Amino acid sequence: MKTISMRKLIAAIGAAALLSTAAVAIAPSAYAAAPTCTKASDGVETCTGTLSNGAGYLIKVPARYNGTFFYWNHGIRFTYPLPGVITVPKGVEELTPSNVPEAAMLRAGYGLATYDGVSTGGLRGWNTADRVEMLKELIDTVKAKYTVRKGVAYGSSQAGSILTPFIEKYPTYADSVGIMAGVTPSIGQEVQSLCDAFYILSVFADPTIKGCAAMGVKGLAGHYAAAAEFGKVVALLTAWGGNLGAPGLEYPAALKGSGIPQRSALLLTGLLIGLPTKSAHMDGITTSPVIAEQSINATVAILENFGEAIATGTFGGQAISEITGPGFYDNTKTNWFSLLDPADSGRFNLGLSGDGAINGMLGVLSMAPRVTGDPAAVAKLKALDKSKFDTTKPVVLLSNEADRLVFPGNGALYVDKARAIYDAKLAKYETARDAATTSAERAAAAKLKPFWNVASLYAMTPETYTKYTAAGLPDLAGAPSPSGVGHQNFTLKQMMAWVKILAHAADTGKVGSPGYLQQYIKKAPYLNSDLDYRPSDLKYIW
Amino acid sequence: MNIRASLSRKKLIGLTAVLIAGSMTLAEIPANAADPGVSATEIVLGMQLPETGAASPGYNKVDDAMRAYFDYVNSKGGIGGKKIRLEVKDDTYKAGLTISTASSLINKEKVFAFIGSIGTQTHISVIKDINRRKIPDVFVNSGFSDFYNPATYPTTFAALGTYVTEAKILGKYLKEKYPDKKIGVLYQSDDFGRNSLEGFAKAGLTFEAKKTSADFIAGTQGSVGLASQLTQLKANGVEIVIIAAVSSATAVALLTASALGYKPDKWAVISVGADATTFQTIAGSKGVPASMSAAMLTGLISASHAPAPGDSSDEYVTAFKKINDDFNKGADKRWDNNVLQGMNIGYMATGALMGTLNAKSTFSAKNNKTCQANAKKAVLTRVCFIDYLNTNGSKVESAAFTPLQYSPTTHEAFSGFWIGAYDAATVLQPVSGTRVVYSTDSGNGPVTVSNYKRPAIAADALPKN
Repeated sequence: MKTISMRKLIAAIGAAALLSTAAVAIAPSAYAAAPTCTKASDGVETCTGTLSNGAGYLIKVPARYNGTFFYWNHGIRFTYPLPGVITVPKGVEELTPSNVPEAAMLRAGYGLATYDGVSTGGLRGWNTADRVEMLKELIDTVKAKYTVRKGVAYGSSQAGSILTPFIEKYPTYADSVGIMAGVTPSIGQEVQSLCDAFYILSVFADPTIKGCAAMGVKGLAGHYAAAAEFGKVVALLTAWGGNLGAPGLEYPAALKGSGIPQRSALLLTGLLIGLPTKSAHMDGITTSPVIAEQSINATVAILENFGEAIATGTFGGQAISEITGPGFYDNTKTNWFSLLDPADSGRFNLGLSGDGAINGMLGVLSMAPRVTGDPAAVAKLKALDKSKFDTTKPVVLLSNEADRLVFPGNGALYVDKARAIYDAKLAKYETARDAATTSAERAAAAKLKPFWNVASLYAMTPETYTKYTAAGLPDLAGAPSPSGVGHQNFTLKQMMAWVKILAHAADTGKVGSPGYLQQYIKKAPYLNSDLDYRPSDLKYIW
Repeated sequence: MNIRASLSRKKLIGLTAVLIAGSMTLAEIPANAADPGVSATEIVLGMQLPETGAASPGYNKVDDAMRAYFDYVNSKGGIGGKKIRLEVKDDTYKAGLTISTASSLINKEKVFAFIGSIGTQTHISVIKDINRRKIPDVFVNSGFSDFYNPATYPTTFAALGTYVTEAKILGKYLKEKYPDKKIGVLYQSDDFGRNSLEGFAKAGLTFEAKKTSADFIAGTQGSVGLASQLTQLKANGVEIVIIAAVSSATAVALLTASALGYKPDKWAVISVGADATTFQTIAGSKGVPASMSAAMLTGLISASHAPAPGDSSDEYVTAFKKINDDFNKGADKRWDNNVLQGMNIGYMATGALMGTLNAKSTFSAKNNKTCQANAKKAVLTRVCFIDYLNTNGSKVESAAFTPLQYSPTTHEAFSGFWIGAYDAATVLQPVSGTRVVYSTDSGNGPVTVSNYKRPAIAADALPKN
């Protein structure tokens, strides 16, 4: 979600006219166009062309090309515009991760290639299956022109759902895989939580919110319907931004007059969906005369994070609904009590207004009318982006501790799934090893021994960083945390550490020893040296 | 005890390499593998507690007392030739800092184990990760029963009886002693309060919401006060007020009740909130003279699993008090319940470490051979330390009047409490003149008189595990 700043999006949507008849179309090509290349005075050769579906691609190769190519995969883009708010891309937008200068990678000798992630017919959104094939075609195109010694397939956000199935389907097409801030393996799990967010807010704040239940209409109309739902949430967030959610709950009737402040429902919503309790400006710890307690700090963090998270739910959910059809969201079996981690109910007890309020809110949530989905659509949601997680290629994940769009639990889920495959292989190897009685059998068993080839890196925040105004209010306009927050938002040193590790992994076939990894980690402030770090899990695992 | 629940490196790189590069998972670490925090000469232990901040009074003495006992052990040659070093982190009772300081203890200080952590609401934020990493998390100063189910948290062991256990015993006493009195409760609406109410209910002591039961959000007692809750209890004719809350809340409650002219016949306080020194320190910070706060405490009923610190006849008190005098370098080494608890944790931990390194110890069938071999070579591992506690918990000596209950099925600490009332010198004295220790479980088992005879402390005040 980088076409526009999410902050600007949130601000603009509240006032934007949501209806438009603007048409979006990218004329597909009947066949792939041959690359057109030019060489600049600095020796960098630039090639452009189109894939077989008409999507553009871009290739740059430095004069001192070292034989390693990096194939970049960007995240989700919009298919449809919102006038004055969202502009649909008109081709390749970036060749490298947003804050890694092309020049830095070219200087390092890497060849660079990317493609515009637009499917036939101009569709963007959740077109991961198409993009697996587009990435293959890009690499074929590069290899047809250049000698590629090693290849790195890397990308961000949605690209996690492209790269995992890609390397499983085309294992010879890359020597290492880098997933940055990625949804792994699928956005389905997180979208379920974000749909929960809409639903919870409909119970506690605005009964007109339909959220994901309003999604599923294809095309522009569906896009606008989803945007309208997003607008309702933005309106709530705007109000809470003004009063920090101090007024008492107006909804549902059972809790009106209960004295439970709206901020407690907001905090509960954030905790139930697994939204990070640190944000750009709020560390969840420091206090002031107005923000008198840590859980109140965290409540403001939830408020600051909520808009961009719900934007993922809105536009990611709508994009998914074009695949699943309407009714992909179902919460008839959701146990709201179980979604609240005991650690959270304790740590944030005061912000949640205590046990009585927690039980009251979860109680009314449990009794509220549920959303019944379409079983076929729900099944399609769960079947999205299916992967086996059995690649033997080195995979290096890079995530922010408090990513509000793609929650860091995605990285943990990838590691868990890959670990389960590894453990099964290990058990098979051990059984064969223990049963072996001849040298031939022992040699055969040895070939079964698996190798763990995943590294998961996390950029962390400083311990504390919240600043307050003279009035004691959080300074949300000040400098944000220097690390660990935001989406696809890493320092240049953190990104280059990831790039170097990926290049080494491509050369050696291994992610690298902890000692090797630590050399790069030490050079990138706030990159976590704890290689066994685990963020909070996603709320839904399938 | 009154600090309960209180508020509410080349080998290492090699090991880490194995773990991360992935040819081995944590679960597959053999019991004889080298572990962080242990060298030929040293065992590094880590502790988290509120050293500063509103929740710190009293509790910030526990670490100094633990370190004093370890320094005493070190002066006697350490354990298996290894000196104990205690690394302490101040989390100010803010869970966000508990998370970052735990990370520091694990990744920078490379501790072998966490020990004596204080704070239910803070520890709950890190207990899952500590257990995931299979790091021993021993002698936790919380009575929250949910922490001590090995099926959920296999590496976590208590230092205190649970709130449920204590409330069952205290509740039974009050119900039988004051059958005609109207009994009410003031509790903090969190894990601590919930656990306590559960225990009272098991004792047949139930309360009526908004009438004989008043709650408050933990953390608001200082800023909001407890006037409305106490007014409610007074208006409903509550004659005996039970407090299930931290010490600062007890102080606010007693001071506010006094200001309101509310004089219930009795105050009864779950031990976490009833430490005399802590109470008087907090009261003093509010301008209440020591004589007045002592008078407020007089007659207040509470419970304890160990001797009262003022019990000069108790051999553990005598021995620990001398070690405190000789080795405690803390800013405030005044002998009190917090210091006694810190000493006792140091004593129990020393016994458990000695037992793990004793080649004559018996471990579980799965690990016995390896752990005994390790002990012969003075190799200390996390797996064997945890195994020792699971297998030999009841043999770990302590000052408490009932043994540790540790087993593969429970990591709760003490099952027994005695009931006392504070005298004018702020010493908890047995309510019946003679100390009677009652024992029960956190389930539905009966409350019975304990016949356990506590082992005598050795002349050198060192455990003999």
